[in-house]
Amino acid sequence: MSAGDSNPAATPTPCEDIQGDGRWMSLHNRFVSDSKDKEPDVLFVGDSLVQLMHQFGVWRELFSPLHALNFGIGGDATQHVLWRLSNGELDNISPKVVVLWVGTNNHGHSAEQICGGLLAIVQVIKNKLPNARILVLGILPRGKLPNPLRERNTQVNHLVAEAVSSLPHASFFSVDPGFVHCNGDCCFCNVTVH
Amino acid sequence: MFSGMSSDEPSPAALPEPVEDVHGDGRWMSQHTRFVQECKDAEPDVLFVGDSMIQLMRHHDIWRELFSPLHALNFGIGGDTTCNVLWRLQNGELDNIKPKVVVLWVGTNNHQHSAEQVAEGVLAVARLLTSRLPRAKVIIMGLLPRGERPNPLREKNAAVNALLRARLPRPGPVLLLDAGAGLLAPDGSLSQRDMFDYLHLTAAGYAAVSKPLSDLLLQILEETPEERRAPPV
Repeated sequence: MSAGDSNPAATPTPCEDIQGDGRWMSLHNRFVSDSKDKEPDVLFVGDSLVQLMHQFGVWRELFSPLHALNFGIGGDATQHVLWRLSNGELDNISPKVVVLWVGTNNHGHSAEQICGGLLAIVQVIKNKLPNARILVLGILPRGKLPNPLRERNTQVNHLVAEAVSSLPHASFFSVDPGFVHCNGDCCFCNVTVH
Repeated sequence: MFSGMSSDEPSPAALPEPVEDVHGDGRWMSQHTRFVQECKDAEPDVLFVGDSMIQLMRHHDIWRELFSPLHALNFGIGGDTTCNVLWRLQNGELDNIKPKVVVLWVGTNNHQHSAEQVAEGVLAVARLLTSRLPRAKVIIMGLLPRGERPNPLREKNAAVNALLRARLPRPGPVLLLDAGAGLLAPDGSLSQRDMFDYLHLTAAGYAAVSKPLSDLLLQILEETPEERRAPPV
């Protein structure tokens, strides 16, 4: 699956400052600066699901101890993450693992396009960090009841799981709530990072 | 009751409007429906209503420590404008409840409207609240600064606060609480320690903002005589 200009989800695109307070660029600049100063072993990158992890106890308990950096920005779609990672956020760091969680905000894109976007991000990470292991997290279901976005997200997960299965440097990882909540018999503590 | 209306036409920010389901998962309506249901079951003394500033309070310790004990309901929805809050309150979210205080925090998402229009929108919500709940007090939370450094939206939000301050009668049932000043550094920058994305508050940011709000709520609740309620049927 190639990421050409024909796939908007796979075309690096910065977020336009429509509202007028420049917050997206402030955050990107802060992340670029973090990359210069810090030496993370784990890099989390994606949308609000990544960003908000940083705001709760779970970050301090589970991920901070791993020397993790959080480059999540709420609202980001794959093309925005692609742009960020291609414009400084991966410079000067060598994390052992990159956790990628994005895709639910790709409104108007097909499941195939979103998959293409995720694979383009995986490729950029591989190019810049050839020794890093990449974990692509499954997009969660959304909406109270079954709806087209749930179907789309499920389809993206199928396509991505299949596409990365042949890549030695990347893995697909489902974190569906049904998975996370089962009693102690799951989660990151059972995943060994080499 | 509210002085200073600059034209006879209602501000577009004062026109009720539901959020259109453009994404396709119906989440806004799901949340509104849930809030209407909560009104049937709960007897809150304090109602919090507004946008993500209200909604996200619920996920931090301050909710459990300061506001839950006051028998509070949280009807915040991220992204909401004054138009959306107005629609929700007119369509069931005030039915069957008689809170003593309503905390209103909305206006920062009114991107299509001028400061003047936003202020009128906020006042329209306040008017609806005082007409539906004649014995309640309303606390309007001032709009916080946003963006890492000074920018047009900061000026706009400050202008909204100034207009509200000028137009709210004192004394009166509607109060303005502006908790934003303490968040700005001497050079005018906002810290990620208080606002992780220069818009939404961190746990520390909420703790700072919640203290004056909690103090004011306790003061009002202490002053409000207990109403006799008919026993539930």
